[in-house]
Amino acid sequence: MKAKPRIGIYGLSSCAGDQLVLVNCEDELLTILEAVDLRSFVMAHSNNPEGELDVAFVEGAVTQESDLATLKDVRSRAQILIALGTCAVWGGIPYLSGLGTPLSDHVQVDYAITGCPIEKTQLLKALSSLLRGDLPLSLPHPVCLECTIRENDCLLQSGEICCGPLTAGGCNARCPSHNRACLGCRGASHDPNYESARRILEEHGYSVAEVRQRLALFSGKASVKEGTQVG
Amino acid sequence: MAKIHLDHISRVEGHGALTVKLDGNTVQEVKLNLFEGMRGFEKVVLGRSYTEIPAIICRICAICSAGHAITAHMAVEKALGISVSAQTELLRELAFLGMFIESHSLHVFALALPDYLGYDGIADMAQDHKDVVTTALQIKKTGNCVQELIGGRAIHHINTTFGGFGKLPSQAEINELREQLANRLSAMEGIVELLAGLSTPNYAGEEILFMAVRPAGEGYGFFGDTIVFSDGREFPAEQYQIAFQETENQYSNAKQSTIDGLPFMVGALARINLFGDRLTGKAAETLAKLQIPIPSKNALHNNLAQVVEIIYALERAIEICDQILAEGLQAEPLPDITPQTGQGIIATELPRGTLYHSFSFDENGLVTAADVITPTALNQASVEQEIAFIGASHAGQTEDQLKFLFERLVRAYDPCISCSVHVVQIKEGHKHTID
Repeated sequence: MKAKPRIGIYGLSSCAGDQLVLVNCEDELLTILEAVDLRSFVMAHSNNPEGELDVAFVEGAVTQESDLATLKDVRSRAQILIALGTCAVWGGIPYLSGLGTPLSDHVQVDYAITGCPIEKTQLLKALSSLLRGDLPLSLPHPVCLECTIRENDCLLQSGEICCGPLTAGGCNARCPSHNRACLGCRGASHDPNYESARRILEEHGYSVAEVRQRLALFSGKASVKEGTQVG
Repeated sequence: MAKIHLDHISRVEGHGALTVKLDGNTVQEVKLNLFEGMRGFEKVVLGRSYTEIPAIICRICAICSAGHAITAHMAVEKALGISVSAQTELLRELAFLGMFIESHSLHVFALALPDYLGYDGIADMAQDHKDVVTTALQIKKTGNCVQELIGGRAIHHINTTFGGFGKLPSQAEINELREQLANRLSAMEGIVELLAGLSTPNYAGEEILFMAVRPAGEGYGFFGDTIVFSDGREFPAEQYQIAFQETENQYSNAKQSTIDGLPFMVGALARINLFGDRLTGKAAETLAKLQIPIPSKNALHNNLAQVVEIIYALERAIEICDQILAEGLQAEPLPDITPQTGQGIIATELPRGTLYHSFSFDENGLVTAADVITPTALNQASVEQEIAFIGASHAGQTEDQLKFLFERLVRAYDPCISCSVHVVQIKEGHKHTID
């Protein structure tokens, strides 16, 4: 990639949390701003030059015509388009309400960074990969694996509906490490253990429908049709 | 007739546009269009269990997500009769203070300050003022550290639960946090000096009204049971629906609020105007140093009022850390919850102003009605009123000058547009359908 890749950061319908994660990189922000040619970040900057982009980061779901117009315009100007956050990747809460759809329903998405919000570490790793001219690495494992590595007590085993076995990792099992069940806010894992999760949940008296309702909060289509993945 | 149009207001959260029609020095029309897409929180919460409400509702907004999460917990607790210990209240207050430090720092330093110093944003500003920007970012970061420690995550807290927390911070963590807060309080001194030297243009309108929650107790703060207007009217927070009136308009996705047809402003300036005399210590000194006339009717002073509140939040957070270090934290069992029919209404003060949450539940603890009114929705009518005022008082300026003035004024309200688009309002018995 060029010495200074041209970057654009956009928000469709969202809580702006994923754009905020970038601004929350307080220790790294000035270094990042020096390493890239920031062409658009309306939330943080006035008089944006726009134009051709090497990488576009797009947060949020498509819920209205203006979102779609922005997305198509950005796609037409960007070499690489990255979906940022659960709403952009899976549809999130707007998908569940029937109002919003993920970016991949409308345009080609080259890479997805999931999470509600995305994790700072994952964003920084992705940025450094891009600066080296690589696409970021995908994380196929579920939250459950990270939780096991941290040697947490299993919340499923204690009878809570924990979405850890089915949810995309990368948060270092944030919720279970605070004794709170995983809500599935990062969307579906690429390598989930459906059978095992189903068995454990059924043993504790939960139905698949209950778990699906919980997962559906964030996982969009993947929760409706088991095993559907975003590339 | 001249028409001034800003199609996407920059350096604010979310998507907003502004149209102003001027005829000589008469302003014919002001339309603030908050065109953020609706995300359907209405539909999602209805019929869902009380257990899921805070995690859903906090997604309305990232910047004040802690405020939404904690206020939603409080409203559910009120509806279901769940009592909360003094320790939990203290830790929740600490999380709130972290949100104030982070949110106000973001707005004052990264979004508003470039207007005062003549830059398009923090990236340009950092070229010439690297020390200020670096210090400001560290102060902002401390706000996030508070939230990480108490809330479990800076955005969309995961550690708060009904009646308590998933995990309590250790004394060592509180000690480290206290040190960091004290360092930032010292670092703010230089920043306050810089800001005290900058001039604030006079945008003062005549008719501007203010509203805020009266802090419980004698001191300053963000929690209480009574809402107060600057014309002397006050109401129990639970009666907010008779205190002011919400109306829809054709051009914006957010409802407007007025009291007897009059717009009102909420946020840091409203709080400082109404309760600034309760400030003590460095916060009171800063208020004097920044020369905000109390009461100030200049909405631009909201930026400086936020600076005063950053100091207040740092000082109060240090006090709380000291109390925790002296008394220790006790592991408290979480309450057993029996779902019951009920309604909980809570008003809190968030960085941008008053937030109202109201939830009703059936006997199984499923949501039957919900109402959320956010600070930016409340401020919408006030923004239009003040734009009309400065449009008239600055007639004769060029289109570019007026655009800058208008955008700067909108920005001073620190709008959070994701919050404002009519997020949740479902009435009992009226199933809200959108598609």
